[in-house]
Amino acid sequence: MAALEIIGIHKKFGGVVALAGVDITIETARITGVIGPNGSGKTTLFNVVAGAFPPTAGRVVWQGEDITGKRSYDIARRGVVRTYQQSMSYPALSVRDNVRIGCEHGRAPNLRTAARWQSADEILDFVGLGGLGDVTAGALSFGNLRRLGLAVALGAEPLLLLLDEPAAGLSDSEGAALTELILSFPQLGLGVCVIDHDMALMGAICEHLVVLNFGTKIAEGTPQDVLNDATVLDVYLGTGT
Amino acid sequence: MTEPARSRTPTGGWIERPSREQIVLGVLVLAGIVAFPLLNPGYRLLSLAVTTGFTAIALYGLALQFGQAGILSVGHAGIVGVGAYAAAIIATQFGAGFWLALPVSIAASAFAAALVGMPSLRVGGQHYIIITFCFSALLVIALTNGGTLTGSATGLDVGLIAPVFGINFALIKNAYALVSGFLVVCIVVTYVIVNSPYGRTLRAIRENEPLARAVGINSNRHKIGVFFLSGAFAGLAGILQTYYLRHISPPLYGAFPSLYLALMIMLGGARYLYGPLIGAIIVTFLPEVGHLDPIDARIAYGVALLAVILLLPGGVSGGVAELYRALVARWQRAPAAPASVSPPPSAG
Repeated sequence: MAALEIIGIHKKFGGVVALAGVDITIETARITGVIGPNGSGKTTLFNVVAGAFPPTAGRVVWQGEDITGKRSYDIARRGVVRTYQQSMSYPALSVRDNVRIGCEHGRAPNLRTAARWQSADEILDFVGLGGLGDVTAGALSFGNLRRLGLAVALGAEPLLLLLDEPAAGLSDSEGAALTELILSFPQLGLGVCVIDHDMALMGAICEHLVVLNFGTKIAEGTPQDVLNDATVLDVYLGTGT
Repeated sequence: MTEPARSRTPTGGWIERPSREQIVLGVLVLAGIVAFPLLNPGYRLLSLAVTTGFTAIALYGLALQFGQAGILSVGHAGIVGVGAYAAAIIATQFGAGFWLALPVSIAASAFAAALVGMPSLRVGGQHYIIITFCFSALLVIALTNGGTLTGSATGLDVGLIAPVFGINFALIKNAYALVSGFLVVCIVVTYVIVNSPYGRTLRAIRENEPLARAVGINSNRHKIGVFFLSGAFAGLAGILQTYYLRHISPPLYGAFPSLYLALMIMLGGARYLYGPLIGAIIVTFLPEVGHLDPIDARIAYGVALLAVILLLPGGVSGGVAELYRALVARWQRAPAAPASVSPPPSAG
């Protein structure tokens, strides 16, 4: 089932074209990756989808409803929640309160059925921060901060998670542990869309890859297909001739 | 049987249970407020205490918007002035007394604060500070040129508060009881707000507004909401001040009084429950205790503010809380010294 449809999205900042007509369909219960070099328009795409700013042209459709240009909090309440690459937490608050804020908002006002999580601590256990609830978020290590970012987003009971470079700045072992965590999200019935420029990471976690370059989609398919695509190799490695 | 639609309470009740320390501190503060007039402090000190009371009420509003939501105003005295003048104007125009004017003053200040706050949604923090500063400056000009409605530069007079159950509020000890009664209500209301999910929502906006919006918080609505609440406290302070002084004039609500309120909140500490009260006590009583004339007092305030910013970023209340935590940690560590690993901090 197509959950999120990105249809012909254009975004210009003054004279700079960040996105030049991108079409992507994201299905729930699997992990979709959007990959591309720095400046290819990945984060702009997230910002448009999550409502940080409206696109210059094009539409975003979520579960059959046009959500183009809606405010970010409105989109979050409908179940599309993003994480940030840099500012992942509320630094002066306790880890538990960070997650509780997610739990008390997000889809909660519209949630008719029982919530997936019974408490903030249950989410902290799930992401591997059990026992750290009373710690101030600003005192966490960077790796734990990345996990907290996921916990805050999970608290909002998303149906589709948009992860902005979830493993950036992590050591190999931390990155591997986080990858494992993200791989378990589809089993919760959660759609995931990841953006990153790390080919190895994306090849490992995504079932479906979309490659952006200069604001346009240059390839799409399974990781094997995409990573062997001549155009993609050209963008990443240069022509070599 | 169907489950209630929202049975989720991530950790127990809607409002945090107060800790033992909080209860003890609350009882001590209440005892102090009740005991003060029984110590025969004399008229001068009692009248300073009344001033402290309504100033602290205004500060509790400022603490919500600055301490919780992270939005500083340097025009809070102007918002107090809206409530004060609302009470005085309906007294002189329609003969309405204190009790009738009370809800009017609170509503007038609340709406004024929400209105002044609206432009801040489009611009960043510093711009809001300038807007609030301009508001209090403009208010003084408007009041000074308001003809007979505002009494111009002379200001307005109001009568006495109508006695309730035979209590005559013209007596200083009864005025003290009235103001401190309202103060206690304000402290309780602040406690409830700060420890409810709504308080957490405000702190989320303070700490990381983009993240708050990304999890579904309509930050603009909550900002206007907290301006409104802050204004309601200011309106209550305004009418209490009006009926205590019995005469108000524009300079009471200008830029300098506004800056003093901002100074007091930083001095006392905006994020702690008794920070506003401590700030009001220090600034009101400092000239009296230190035998300072008004010029010296201003210098002392400036030095105190610099000292607090440099040494106690959380204000005096934050410094005391930190000291207390350090002492408790030391006291707990001492008997448990043989344990190689300290136990994780338990809840409560």
